[in-house]
Amino acid sequence: MAETNNAAVETAPEVKAPKVKAPKVKEPKAPKPEKAAKPAKEPKPQKQKGLRIPYEKRKSLYAYGFLAIWLIGSLYFFVRPLLVSLWYSFNETAVKLGYMETKFIGIQNYIKAFRENTEYTEALLAVLSNTLWKTPLIIVFSIFIAVILNQKFRGRTFARAVFFLPVIIATGPVLSIINGDMDTSGYSGGADQFSTMFETDMTGALFNFLGVYNISDKVTDMISTVTSNVFNLVWNSGIQIIIFLSALQNIPFSAKEAASIEGATAWEFFWKITIPYISPMIVTNLIYTIVDSFIDPNNSVMSLVLARASAWYHGESAAMAWAYFLIVIIALCIVLPIINKFVYYEV
Amino acid sequence: MATAKEERQFAKEREKALKERHKAYKAAKKAGTLDERIISPEHIRYMRRRAIVSKVWPFFRFLILFGLCFVILYPLIYMFSTAFRPNVQMTDPSVIWLPKSFTMSNMIDVWETMDFGPTLWNTIKLNIVCSLLSVVVCAITGYGLARFNFKGKGICFALVIMQIIVPPQITVIPLYLQYAFFKGFGLVKLLHILGVKQIAYSSTQDPKVIQEIISPAGEPTGQWYVSLINMPIVMYAPAIFANGIKSGLFIFIFRQFFRGLPIELEDAAYLDGCGPFKTFIRIMVPNASTSFLTVFLFAIVWYWNDFYISSTFFTSNHTVALQLRKLSDTLDQRLFSGQQVGTRKKIVWLESGCLLSIAPILVMYVFLQKYFTEGLARSGLTGM
Repeated sequence: MAETNNAAVETAPEVKAPKVKAPKVKEPKAPKPEKAAKPAKEPKPQKQKGLRIPYEKRKSLYAYGFLAIWLIGSLYFFVRPLLVSLWYSFNETAVKLGYMETKFIGIQNYIKAFRENTEYTEALLAVLSNTLWKTPLIIVFSIFIAVILNQKFRGRTFARAVFFLPVIIATGPVLSIINGDMDTSGYSGGADQFSTMFETDMTGALFNFLGVYNISDKVTDMISTVTSNVFNLVWNSGIQIIIFLSALQNIPFSAKEAASIEGATAWEFFWKITIPYISPMIVTNLIYTIVDSFIDPNNSVMSLVLARASAWYHGESAAMAWAYFLIVIIALCIVLPIINKFVYYEV
Repeated sequence: MATAKEERQFAKEREKALKERHKAYKAAKKAGTLDERIISPEHIRYMRRRAIVSKVWPFFRFLILFGLCFVILYPLIYMFSTAFRPNVQMTDPSVIWLPKSFTMSNMIDVWETMDFGPTLWNTIKLNIVCSLLSVVVCAITGYGLARFNFKGKGICFALVIMQIIVPPQITVIPLYLQYAFFKGFGLVKLLHILGVKQIAYSSTQDPKVIQEIISPAGEPTGQWYVSLINMPIVMYAPAIFANGIKSGLFIFIFRQFFRGLPIELEDAAYLDGCGPFKTFIRIMVPNASTSFLTVFLFAIVWYWNDFYISSTFFTSNHTVALQLRKLSDTLDQRLFSGQQVGTRKKIVWLESGCLLSIAPILVMYVFLQKYFTEGLARSGLTGM
């Protein structure tokens, strides 16, 4: 690589290929200059007119070739809709046959969302506080489970498979049936809601399953509040557990050995070895968890946004979504630098 | 670095040595010739604590794991328990987990209600095509981001991150309008000029007529559109252009994976006269086979479970997730003659529906579980 690179740089000023011609080099043509570059050591540089582009530059052109499909797609399927929705958020909208009629009204939609729509701020606060207390819990819980699953015991593969199972199921509509929020038709009300997950007495079910009956009410009450939260935790931490697990497996053996020679207890080992080594993954998981809980279609802000959109208030719905999105971005921007200070990067 | 096998060997040897030391210590204690130089009191305490922990901990570990596994598996156990249970036995207090008799009638009812055969075939077709396309294109994009320096790399990477963070709810309405009034940069107008009246995948139902946009004043504007809603192309097209469901995440995974491969691999290929694209196909793709499989499996799962995007773009094109989504209503129509019935009364059918629609994914997971868990761990993400 170095040879071709030098050759290209040396001969480049002689030929002075005009810059305009650079984009003309297409993929099928491209291997030519590479072959041509090698005999460039011998003195016959006249033959390579027009194709002389420094190696690095040529490589960067290939990058555009690799990215072309995605770039085009992103412009049409991502950037354009994104900008259009931003535009809607400043407009009063009405769907007409073949296009969307818009009337510019400034930030009225945003003011409306925050001032008039009482549900919106409430839902926003609910989602934010929910994320705030759930995220650390999920992180701690998944570290704990990952440490356990990293130990050697019988049935480990099975346990790993089970802990990952929610990822397979939890994203689909199956979860809403399991959760029992399928029947939102209004007529049935709360009384007839039937959830197989939260409404039934999980703890009781577990004890019955184990064959334990008749323990005191207080104990079951206490356990059931814990379990209903554990439920949310477990069903939301599949990916995080896997990421931590792989981070744990990457801890070098020498570190473990040194710790055991020094007589570290498991507790010391956890705080002095495990945590520093997996701290970069804590950041990854933090981002993943926050984003995951924010873009979950089941959270209350998202359902509000959808409700406004399906009531044909597209402008207002877009404004709500954008305000929400900006808050999420700001939250990430505040959290990340703080967390990053505590991260240990192995150099 | 020692290999894993050697490490295991070392661990064994270490344990053996420790045991021998312990034995010697006990023997010395018995004989009354305990020499503090062999083993210090701290070491004794350490070993004692370790012995206790190693006896007690497995028990607690078992309890914790058993409880949590139960929490996770509970809905599944419940699903299996109710899906084959006659509806009468739902209210029978003497039946808790095992029904007194098994029946397939729930399954058959749900199968017919969901029109499961054609729906499944349709879903599988859509799923496999979309997943394959997005895996291939995301891999190419991820490689481009991982191994090249070019102007605007930062912007491109920021765009990928944006695609992960921005919820689909923001872009879905403009996208819907793009599809519902598809102009195709004048392509549709060209079709009109060529004399094409309509495009449709089946001529009998849901014809896609090419129409002209009429301005508010009632005058034709000269712009022609066609509705693509319900056509599978609305799922295929984003997948081809690496903008399908969760594509941002896939690109990110591939980027991380390709960054982790040694750069010498590529340099060797370049020296031997491979162009970058050939290098990618000949050298990088074979190395990335596990991560291809993992991303493919995840793509399948996410496409299978998706109801949000497909419910926006499909009204009469059925996928399993969509059918399951409205199963409650269709059950009312079919089994209870249009009456709205509470969930409790039709829970057996709902659970059968759940079981039926996750069964393919579940079977896939059981056999390919290794690639889901280990693949995700090995194929990037962790190489931040």
